[in-house]
Amino acid sequence: MGSTHYHAEQCSAAGCDKNALTGAARCWEHLDDHGAFVASLDPQRLAGAWLVGVDLSGADLKGANLAGARLSGATLVSAELVEADLRRAFLDGADLRGANLFGANLEFAVLGGTDVSEAIFRGADLRRANLVGARGHHADFSDTDLYYARPGNADFEGANFSGANIMRTIFRRANLKDAILTGTTGAANFENANLEGARR
Amino acid sequence: MIFGSFLLDANESNAFVLGCEETREALLVDVGDADPRIEEFLEQHGLRLTTVFITHDHYDHTGGLDHVLREHDVEVLSGRGAAGGRNARRVRHGDEVRIGQLTGAVLATPGHTPDSVSLAFPGLVFTGDALFAGSVGGTTSSANARQEIEHIRKHIFALPDECEIHPGHGPASTVGVERQHNPFFV
Repeated sequence: MGSTHYHAEQCSAAGCDKNALTGAARCWEHLDDHGAFVASLDPQRLAGAWLVGVDLSGADLKGANLAGARLSGATLVSAELVEADLRRAFLDGADLRGANLFGANLEFAVLGGTDVSEAIFRGADLRRANLVGARGHHADFSDTDLYYARPGNADFEGANFSGANIMRTIFRRANLKDAILTGTTGAANFENANLEGARR
Repeated sequence: MIFGSFLLDANESNAFVLGCEETREALLVDVGDADPRIEEFLEQHGLRLTTVFITHDHYDHTGGLDHVLREHDVEVLSGRGAAGGRNARRVRHGDEVRIGQLTGAVLATPGHTPDSVSLAFPGLVFTGDALFAGSVGGTTSSANARQEIEHIRKHIFALPDECEIHPGHGPASTVGVERQHNPFFV
């Protein structure tokens, strides 16, 4: 990865050119004890951390400070991220299926290419969030703020957006089949979106 | 590498500061407004602003330039050789931009304007209004739109998938996400 603005050094494993995880000498792939690393994480001290590829499935990260952290490709299945601070965090390609992000702050967060199927975002701040190409079947986006968010090409079949602010949200070519859009406020861009069966 | 991003009032544009940890020299990418948070960030990190890189000569990317020029002894770089009514050093595709021990490469990304340029450092690229998360910059003709798409494919999508994209408006992204999912390319 070379030069970076994250709190990361190069992985110490021979021949590896990846960044080491923040607080470790190695990348996730070359780490000897994954469990010990996960147990060592202090949820309040993860801002700007390099956590690429980590497996935090089911982890209790309620109220965690992950602002500006790099979690690309991380596995966060069923993780508890209630009211977590994820502003400007990179979660591209992460697996967030069934995660609970109730009330989380995801302003400017990068969720491109993530799988957020059946995840709960209720009441979350998703202003200017990048959701390009995300998959979120039956995800709960109710009462979220999606101002100027970018869910282009996303697959949100059956997702619930009831009560959400969708002012300037760009749903260009998104699949919103059977999505619930009742009670949304603001004018969004639905250019070439699939709204078959969507409730408005 | 020290990095800061700022959402400005001017048409909700972004500005960025990139600093060298060793020499404390800093680069400002676009400056749509005179925003005190930029000065605070420079001061907080002990950075000395030496260069301003303008991705394209539109008011929401240059509106704070006069203020910066009053406060700092900086060189202004742009693809047009001018920015916000001021002279600038013209940069072209392939030129290097050095900020302390950091070296960036200028990438031609015309279309939104004829002389729009991006700037790539190891691990991140500033794309101005050429490429956004899930979108591309507005153009005034189909020929310009084709030109923009071609240059993004050739110059931005040639960067590694994990490379961060920091555009002139809206959220960041990565090369991998845009190459695989941006509706204008797939």
